[in-house]
Amino acid sequence: MRKMLAAVSRVLSGASQKPASRVLIASRNFANDATFEIKKCDLHRLEEGPPVTTVLTREDGLKYYRMMQTVRRMELKADQLYKQKIIRGFCHLCDGQEACCVGLEAGINPTDHLITAYRAHGFTFTRGLSVREILAELTGRKGGCAKGKGGSMHMYAKNFYGGNGIVGAQVAKDKGVLP
Amino acid sequence: MAAVSGLVRRPFRQVTVRDAINQGMDEELERDEKVFLLGEEVAQYDGAYKVSRGLWKKYGDKRIIDTPISEMGFAGIAVGAAMAGLRPICEFMTFNFSMQAIDQVINSAAKTYYMSGGLQSVPIVFRGPNGASAGVAAQHSQCFAAWYGHCPGLKVVSPWNSEDAKGLIKSAIRDNNPVVMLENELMYGVPFEFPPEAQSKDFLVPIGKAKIERQGTHITVVSHSRPVGHCLEAAAVLSKEGVECEVINMRTIRPMDMETIEASVMKTNHLVTVEGGWPQFGVGAEICARIMEGISKKPVLEYSQAQIKRLKLAFALSQLSLPSPRSCIQFPGCSCCSCHWC
Repeated sequence: MRKMLAAVSRVLSGASQKPASRVLIASRNFANDATFEIKKCDLHRLEEGPPVTTVLTREDGLKYYRMMQTVRRMELKADQLYKQKIIRGFCHLCDGQEACCVGLEAGINPTDHLITAYRAHGFTFTRGLSVREILAELTGRKGGCAKGKGGSMHMYAKNFYGGNGIVGAQVAKDKGVLP
Repeated sequence: MAAVSGLVRRPFRQVTVRDAINQGMDEELERDEKVFLLGEEVAQYDGAYKVSRGLWKKYGDKRIIDTPISEMGFAGIAVGAAMAGLRPICEFMTFNFSMQAIDQVINSAAKTYYMSGGLQSVPIVFRGPNGASAGVAAQHSQCFAAWYGHCPGLKVVSPWNSEDAKGLIKSAIRDNNPVVMLENELMYGVPFEFPPEAQSKDFLVPIGKAKIERQGTHITVVSHSRPVGHCLEAAAVLSKEGVECEVINMRTIRPMDMETIEASVMKTNHLVTVEGGWPQFGVGAEICARIMEGISKKPVLEYSQAQIKRLKLAFALSQLSLPSPRSCIQFPGCSCCSCHWC
């Protein structure tokens, strides 16, 4: 206990007494944005394709990271609830695949239309619904986004046409939804 | 022949069922620019059965769309479009082909309003000829009234004459729910008298209400689609023998108008149902079951000591295997029965 207290006080006192040189070196080790190279696509009947480089700013990076972390924690919790039989029926999780929904949302506008298959929780979150509404829907409560009547695969939001229970059903519906 | 709306209107002119549906669709396409028609051969060919004649010339490629032979594909596209806010009319060349797309009709269209907790409606109409035609054999002759009538979330209508056809297609297009309209190919060319009120652009036949085509006192005959005509012919023959039949045209399969049927059975105490579908789990079976469960909450046996019989007509030839005026005449002696072909 005493050793722990001593260590804590050392860390705290040490933090407030950083030498100026250390701060200067530290600031030069972090960039405010990062540039990524994207593989060029083959083009068919197009003059130009999507851009080959993109820049991710610090704010965006932190925003996406926060979104991915939220989705991860929500999915892990859903996993736990499913194993406790508080969520029944089907529960298709996307922990580990958060970058798909967050990255996709980063590339589109809120006015674009989105439809997906059954692994829909991450997309429901990135399309604007709260974690509370999603978990309430999974547990079949009336506070859920579909009043508890849809469950894991039937969550809808503005410009989001849901998950689909039938494999492949979203392909044809997607062509109809496109403006 | 140009689209019928261009013709001069006179009281009680003869209009075929085909022209009535054409008129109904034309008026709704004009009224609301979100309405559009898609299906096989609906545009350049003027419709496989010429039901959409003249519409492509009038409204163009964006409103009348020819699709490839892929029912699952274009039914899915239509459902997606309906979810995004348009009002599609999806034509199946016959409802037998709708089996290819039945997943989109039931799982994507019918169930969505419920499963989204009321958030996502699907204002779509699926229409096309249903039931038997002339010699097209088993794979092209199935009646889907019972299959679609089974599903909550769908409304199912089945017109008989021109007035029904025009009024029901207009009501179906204006309804925000998925509606299946089961027409009949053999009725398309049949002309009927079109009353003056049916010539109005706002003429609607309410979904969920049956019509008593002929008043009677001795026996109630309930039917939908083409067999209604057979029932009326049979009723004319029977009335010469002193049996007055009350013929009810259901018009809507789901939600079924049991009040009209019950009121009639309470008056006559006899019931015959006639349909083109198979007997087991059919429309007639449902009517008989509901009558048995109770009129005014009293089981029917208590009320009138009626017997329920289901009679199958085993005819050898396909022409004779459908309800015909002759088969309708054979059965009024029973208290309560369903006629089907098998």
